[in-house]
Amino acid sequence: MNHSLSTSATVGLLAPLAVLLLVAFGYPLGLVAWSSVYVDGVFTLKAYQNLSGSTLFYRVLGNTLQISAVATLVSLVLGYLIALHLAALEPRRRMPYMVLVMLPFWTSILVKSFAFGIVLGDNGIINQAAGLLTGRTEKFELMFNRVGVIIGMSNFLLPFTVFPILASLLAQNRSLHRVAEIMGAGPIRIFLRITLPLSLPGVLAGVLMAMTLSMGMYITPALLGGRKDLMMANLVDIYTRQTLDWGLASAIAIVLLFMSGILIALLLRVRRAEGLGV
Amino acid sequence: MTLPPFQARTESVATTSEASPTSGSRRRFLHHAGAIAASATFMPAVRAQSKSIVVTCWGGDYEKAIKSCFAEPYAKETGIGVSLVNNADLTKMKVQVDSKNVQWDVFDSVGPQITAGARQGMWEDIDAKLVDRSDLVSPGGKDYVGTYLFGGGVAYDPKRVPEGKRPQSLKDFWDVQRFPGRRGLRTRISETLEMALVADGVAPDKLYPLDIERGFKALDRIKPSVKKWIETTPETITLITSNELDYTYTYMSRVFPAQKAGSSVAMATGQTINSLEYLAVPKFGKNTEAAMRYVAFCLRPDRQAAFANTVFFAPNARQAVPLVAAESRQFMPDVLNPAHIIMNDGWWADKYDALQKRFTEWMLT
Repeated sequence: MNHSLSTSATVGLLAPLAVLLLVAFGYPLGLVAWSSVYVDGVFTLKAYQNLSGSTLFYRVLGNTLQISAVATLVSLVLGYLIALHLAALEPRRRMPYMVLVMLPFWTSILVKSFAFGIVLGDNGIINQAAGLLTGRTEKFELMFNRVGVIIGMSNFLLPFTVFPILASLLAQNRSLHRVAEIMGAGPIRIFLRITLPLSLPGVLAGVLMAMTLSMGMYITPALLGGRKDLMMANLVDIYTRQTLDWGLASAIAIVLLFMSGILIALLLRVRRAEGLGV
Repeated sequence: MTLPPFQARTESVATTSEASPTSGSRRRFLHHAGAIAASATFMPAVRAQSKSIVVTCWGGDYEKAIKSCFAEPYAKETGIGVSLVNNADLTKMKVQVDSKNVQWDVFDSVGPQITAGARQGMWEDIDAKLVDRSDLVSPGGKDYVGTYLFGGGVAYDPKRVPEGKRPQSLKDFWDVQRFPGRRGLRTRISETLEMALVADGVAPDKLYPLDIERGFKALDRIKPSVKKWIETTPETITLITSNELDYTYTYMSRVFPAQKAGSSVAMATGQTINSLEYLAVPKFGKNTEAAMRYVAFCLRPDRQAAFANTVFFAPNARQAVPLVAAESRQFMPDVLNPAHIIMNDGWWADKYDALQKRFTEWMLT
């Protein structure tokens, strides 16, 4: 049986999406790229030269990569545990838990970031509970520092890691596990030799999304971070709104885009090398 | 009084109806009757529609005050309607000017934004024939005008901080021995640098030109005691009321609404940093003259006093000061008292970018 579409049908079906992407994504992106090299009527690479000589830029770049990596890792580990649990449930019992995972996903990130104050603050739920239980008056510093940013971001990223991992766990053939059990493998060995390798496409998809999303994070570091937690998007904001240096702001955006692009390419490479093509 | 524009339309309809003479007169009568009824009932609305300008605004109580003190009286007096748009930022204004498709006729903003716009050549020169600035405390630049002053200072929760332990000056804010506690400062270098210098002992009236190195040294001293560098203005209040910070830098215009809403927050009024709000008229506007007239209208002493009585911004027109009610004046910094700082946005204009960059780097280290 031949499932392939004729060329004209393919073009016809893809055209609306292609046009939408071109107008709503390609065009503005092109403008950003253009304004990074075309400043005040002259073609120049000054913005990029400025960036390459700016310690501020390197610091913020380092921050962004570090925070993104840690937040991705945290949300990956937590997400994997949640997905494992969800996959083990019967479909009917899984539903309410899925809704719980989705719930923060439907809440505005601004609201969530403000709400974290109630949980993480000096007089937040955690510190009050800790005070009641242990009687200590010293507070855990959970906000206005790196810890706060990581907690806030991981909370935001969790659904993006849970769902792809869950999908790849559910797609696994159960008889493989049974066979392994019959052959005498323990649960740890089954996990390491069967479950984990087979779920890697989901892990990669989750990492990819979490990493790219966190590199553009803006409101969470602004509200939950301390003075050292400035990220790339916040820097773009300073240059766009405060100093009106759009050339520099565009250059930062383009660098960020390239880095995300490289990251995606690397991850896809890993996937291909591991033979995990989906 | 000039006739409203629909008068012409009525007449043209009447002319075409002459083709059927029998019904003509009756139809003409109906048209005229309708026109008279309409003009009697909807006169102001129709006049406002005939021409109107768009002025940018900041929402909330500020918008209400702008509407009742400037926009509506201006429309009444000139017949030119004023519509206010909120959340207008400089970026959107720049896009309009760059594309020569200007929707906003008057831009209302703070010093850093207005001077940044001026450097980009976004504003029309202020028309001296229409706008008289001889009476202003702080006149502004050639293409922007100062309208009123708003004070910022040290806020605390009066329930948590007993009398005697409340910082009264910027020196007190910097004194972490006598006033221990978690502090909040802004992520913006302007105002922050002025605070640091005055806290370090520079006389407020001899601040400019700012001693940048001395200012950063003073900032080094306060750095370990600052728990949060605040990016959004509402947080300067909410972090006090939620007991996350003990002392923050905030603005009078934020403290009073919070108090009215029942929050326990107060501000030391003995020493304040006063910034100016400015108006500017963008280039390529469609109603430049009406916009200039609006700017002039906002500077009129009676309007300035009315605005000061409504939201407690100090007037920039000297003649307006005595017109402000005594009970309103107690909520405003007395800008003639030398303990208060008046921001010089002109000084910042060409230094802001480099200093903000340095400050942002300083915060990261």
